[in-house]
Amino acid sequence: MGTTYSVAQLKELIAEKLGPGFVPPRFKIITDTSDFFQVDYNDVCVLDEIPYLMLNYTREGRFGLDDEPKYWVRKGVDLLSGSRKIIKLVFHEEIEARIGDIVFKCVRSPGKEAEILKVVRGHPNFMQGIAVLDEADNIIRILDNILGKQLDQIVNKLNENHEEYFFQHLPGLLKIFTGLVEAIGFLHDHGHKHGDIRRDHILHDRENDCYRWIDFDYDYMHMASMFGYDLFGLGNILIFLVGGGDLTIQQLTAEKAPALQSLTADDMNIIFKNRVANIKKIYPYVPDALNYILLHFSNGANLYYENTVQLLEDLGDVQINA
Amino acid sequence: MSIDHTKCDITGMVERHIMIAADSSDNARRAVLFVGDFFGCYEGFQVTLLHIILEPEATFFRGKDERQKWLADQRGESRKFMEEYRNILVDAGFPEDKVNVRIDTMRAPSVADCIIKEQDEMKCCTIVIGRRGISKKEEFIFGSTSNKIIHEARKCAVLVIE
Repeated sequence: MGTTYSVAQLKELIAEKLGPGFVPPRFKIITDTSDFFQVDYNDVCVLDEIPYLMLNYTREGRFGLDDEPKYWVRKGVDLLSGSRKIIKLVFHEEIEARIGDIVFKCVRSPGKEAEILKVVRGHPNFMQGIAVLDEADNIIRILDNILGKQLDQIVNKLNENHEEYFFQHLPGLLKIFTGLVEAIGFLHDHGHKHGDIRRDHILHDRENDCYRWIDFDYDYMHMASMFGYDLFGLGNILIFLVGGGDLTIQQLTAEKAPALQSLTADDMNIIFKNRVANIKKIYPYVPDALNYILLHFSNGANLYYENTVQLLEDLGDVQINA
Repeated sequence: MSIDHTKCDITGMVERHIMIAADSSDNARRAVLFVGDFFGCYEGFQVTLLHIILEPEATFFRGKDERQKWLADQRGESRKFMEEYRNILVDAGFPEDKVNVRIDTMRAPSVADCIIKEQDEMKCCTIVIGRRGISKKEEFIFGSTSNKIIHEARKCAVLVIE
């Protein structure tokens, strides 16, 4: 029989951890989170004998679109330790993922994320947390809150002038990126794919000064290459880092960039046809060794990376000298 | 003394073992038709029709029931097309006892890894596979089974049927 909490005990805990002003007059005590829409602001979920005060849902947005609410991902407070948490409830979603014009079936797998959380425990390049079962055997992930910005937000702020960004900031960013690629290699070595590698899925943990991969719950059926999609994601992030943002045809046209004339279809990202992958054509000071890596993700590529070891080998050859 | 079928003896003393890696696609069917058409009238050949069901991790499914249903559906469907392929080979002239059907459920990074593993275990001298004709983009993200087999299979011939 698990620990049960009375309303009075929980009010006392809320007052102790957050202050008397935060004690809600009424709230539900929830042990089965199957219907996550029933979990309201200020309700208390008791999971694996620990009470969590449930707060706002989180949002996720990209590419200038409005942030999408993620009703199943909630901010919360562990009422025993007082620490802030992100609590991911179970949402079995089946998604038709689109990459360019390729469509494939993806699922949200709480079990996959739970497995990975175990594998990466203590690893500085991954979000940390635990997975517990609620009363209805839903796999709930209770994650440490990471205070800090997304990698893409950091890069966008640094890139006032590309040449300055390239020589002053990119060497440091490449070092960080290399560590992140090694971390994905660690995951692959343990038989897991990340499944949703994107630049906004890397958070800078200000407290511990490290960069962490987040959100591992996407899964898809692979056939000939289990890690190809992850490598594609890594390539996109590298192209973004080297360009100091996305270099699109639209943007270059607006800027009347002279390099526009020399760009061909082969120079573009293999999937996203409007993004330049052959960045040396725009910024000639990009060293060959670095541009060579980018070309693996271009439309003209005849050779692809099959694993992180190959990518890391090539990253090791890159030197940026002013 | 065991016979190494990977060493094809041109005198015909050693039975050649051909593996056809198949799925439900048109190109797999073409690979089967090719083998029937090319080798069906000769003696001394044994064919294994191999289909790999690449099973996702258990966490891919919502629960045991969903996983079991998925596996049952896959096995049911594969039995149907494999039986049809078997009939094509027998009709082409292969003796019934020289056509084996094998359906394996495996977990691996790729279908190609499974096919190569099976070839190595069965010592087949030839792998026959159809080419899906996927786009460059698809190959980049999901890989190409036939390309991987061409590059990684050892001690055997690889026939890729367009």
